Amino acid sequence: MNAQTTLPSPRSAARAVLETAGIYAVAAALLVAGALVSPDFLTAENLLSILSGVALLGIVACGMAFVTYSGNMADLSLPATMAFSGIIAVASLSLGLVPALLLGMLAGLAIGAMNGLVVGKLNANPILWTLAVAFFMEGFMRFTWSNNQLYPEIEPGTPGAAFIGMFRMRAGPVPLIVLVMIALFAVAHFVMTRTRFGRESRLAGSSRAAARSSGIRVSRVVFFNFLAAAFAASVAGIFLTSMNKLGVFYLGQGYDFKAVTAVVIGGVMLSGGRGHIPGVFGGVLVIGLLTNILTFLGITAFRQNIVTGLVFIGVVGFQQYQLRARGKDYA
Amino acid sequence: MSYGGTIGQALVMEAVSKRYPGTLAVDRVDLDVNAGEVHALMGENGAGKSTLMKILSGAFNDYSGLIRIGGQTVTLHSPSEAKEHGVGMVHQELSLARPLSIAENVLAGRLPANRWGLIQRKALFDEARRWLEYVGLALDPRQAVGEISPHEAQLVEIAKVLSNKPCILVLDEPTSSLSREETARLFDIIRDLKRRGLAIIYISHHLPEVFEIADRVTVLRDGRNTGTLSIEEATPRKLVQMMAGQTIDEFYAARHPEIGDTVLRAVRLTRYGYFHDVSFALRRGETLGLAGLSGSGRTELARSLCGLDPVHYGTVSLHDGIIEPGDYARSVSKGLVYLTEDRKADGLFLRLPVSQNLVAALTARHATLGVCRPDKDSAVAHRLFTALHIVAPSLEADTGTLSGGNQQKVLLAKWLATKPHVLLLDEPTRGVDVTAKRQIHEAIMTLTGQGTAVLLISSDLPELVGMSDRVLVMRQGRLIGEMEREELSEEAVLLAANGHYAFRAPDAAASNAGRGAVRTTASGQEGEHS
Repeated sequence: MNAQTTLPSPRSAARAVLETAGIYAVAAALLVAGALVSPDFLTAENLLSILSGVALLGIVACGMAFVTYSGNMADLSLPATMAFSGIIAVASLSLGLVPALLLGMLAGLAIGAMNGLVVGKLNANPILWTLAVAFFMEGFMRFTWSNNQLYPEIEPGTPGAAFIGMFRMRAGPVPLIVLVMIALFAVAHFVMTRTRFGRESRLAGSSRAAARSSGIRVSRVVFFNFLAAAFAASVAGIFLTSMNKLGVFYLGQGYDFKAVTAVVIGGVMLSGGRGHIPGVFGGVLVIGLLTNILTFLGITAFRQNIVTGLVFIGVVGFQQYQLRARGKDYA
Repeated sequence: MSYGGTIGQALVMEAVSKRYPGTLAVDRVDLDVNAGEVHALMGENGAGKSTLMKILSGAFNDYSGLIRIGGQTVTLHSPSEAKEHGVGMVHQELSLARPLSIAENVLAGRLPANRWGLIQRKALFDEARRWLEYVGLALDPRQAVGEISPHEAQLVEIAKVLSNKPCILVLDEPTSSLSREETARLFDIIRDLKRRGLAIIYISHHLPEVFEIADRVTVLRDGRNTGTLSIEEATPRKLVQMMAGQTIDEFYAARHPEIGDTVLRAVRLTRYGYFHDVSFALRRGETLGLAGLSGSGRTELARSLCGLDPVHYGTVSLHDGIIEPGDYARSVSKGLVYLTEDRKADGLFLRLPVSQNLVAALTARHATLGVCRPDKDSAVAHRLFTALHIVAPSLEADTGTLSGGNQQKVLLAKWLATKPHVLLLDEPTRGVDVTAKRQIHEAIMTLTGQGTAVLLISSDLPELVGMSDRVLVMRQGRLIGEMEREELSEEAVLLAANGHYAFRAPDAAASNAGRGAVRTTASGQEGEHS
């Protein structure tokens, strides 16, 4: 039906820029709005505090994006993964800081590996499965630690003190956590756009059946997507535990929904195969800016949740509308 | 079952147009269909047939032009408006709800209910059974649609549309999944509906069908009407010229394949319930046809050969190396690949650009230590885009927006990109227009010329006979014989597939398929013998 036969030139880069431009336009608009709301908004101090405020969310969203991108919707066990990795890290601080961090990471990765195996190999529904895992893990943690919060020892010089200090470390004025987030986003962007794994995730997310019959080992790809998400959640969970100075089963609650929101308003389609990591970063920024502005306006956290929920509903509705408009052409 | 058929012109479309972003899909088309007439609508993929019929079924609210039904000017801006005006459409892709019963599907939207809103099951099943009988299906209407075969589902779909008692019936490639006797049955139904005064629009790529059933033919090309002929004035050559703008001379060029040593060998391959004890050899540069009726196990055999589906017994070897069952990724890396029969289900990434589809099977090969090589990808994509004459606005167009023929070319190109040793083709030109078909055949011939061995599964007999050097015949899960090039004819293949052909003495070296060679099954339930 298309009569042109001129040889095309690759334009995917341009397309990527266009697809992410929208979310950055929103971020820019929010910056302007923030400046109008308060003179203290556009200060380096406030902007840095916004960044450190969204750093944990950014890290989780960065991992969540892999699950969504590969067509598995969302990993709802990420909050439990965060709490678990934090608890294990605190519980093993007596072995020293580095072993404790490693064990914490391993604990989180174990959950990711299980999810990846069950969803990838056994084709479980990702939402139902990870929801069940979240439920199970919460019960498991409450049972094992008898509902208690785990406090690290914070005498100066102990591994516990170093652990608590991690969240508060800064490189100059920039918190370590912000640098970690930026590094993870950079790596994730590279992995998604430039590696075989990223390419295969995109194909699997676009059509699992077609990916399989193109000779792609889809179950392996899905496995690593869940592993990537669990890795990011474990990093975030350890920092969150360090921030709170305690490990407990409920740390991480709410991060599942907020991360999905960031991923989706960043332009990653819930149906998989579409989107970019820079967009997810933009989504995280928008959430951070929005929260900050609402705080400046004196709006409480609960009412902020209402706004976040509405934003999510609006964006998903818009994406569905776009998909339907596209779908017509395919019939 | 009564129809209030109208007399004279049931449908008149005048200067109807529909624009998609960037293309005029239907360009001032005139079409008129009389009551009691079967009007064939032909044209290559992308010629505008589907869009024209979508307009008629109320899919768009932004078409232009005039539509009159039964003499009355109508606007068809929604499917319900089209239904109210008596337009019934049987789509090529079925619109049945698989978990629901046949009866609920047939009478969807008009389920008989009592005054409390509860479904009256007896009335429901009785009425559904009447419609099933009418289309020649002896099925229990309480059965779920998911449990019946695709061709039965096709007939259920027709029953569903007929139960709305349309006065204009559109059939879009209704025979593509039907066997010969089912097709004959469908034609009986069409003739009956014709007598009852329905206006029938019949979309098809199959010339013999059109000559058998149609009264008049309208051909579309590039969104325009290139002419309407009565069936008496039409000839196959004339119609093909109107569709393609060119003749079909030398469609299947004389080929001189250089056939070498055995590349792929299957020994006593069995997948219970699908195929049994299948042995054959495929040689370098050879095109080996695989004939058989739908349901004979052809597709399942190909999928198991390459490792996509399980194997219960027997072995497949490629260049003397055993192919591990169930590890398709490995088969692909070794050069044994399968082109699926259903490009939409598991062939193409419809939402991704053409460029990414073209290199989708190369993710492993075009990576150094796990990092992609976009330069290599881009070179391959450009080369194939040109080589296969893929018609698309650009390499970055979403694949789902291409016409069927061009989608099929993209699918083939994806496998050509891997430079396979063995290519298993499953219906490589199903639902594809004449030009695209020829381009696909040329690409296959080029490939075999370079030494690739091809296994060709096709229900398109001219294609199977024209392209194959040898044909294996499969029936009810077993290889029942083999035909050399000189024995090949459409009629012989058809007879063989139906179990009515006496094969020559088997070539024991190449296969043990001769085991059932001189069997002429007289089970009588299968097919016409014409």
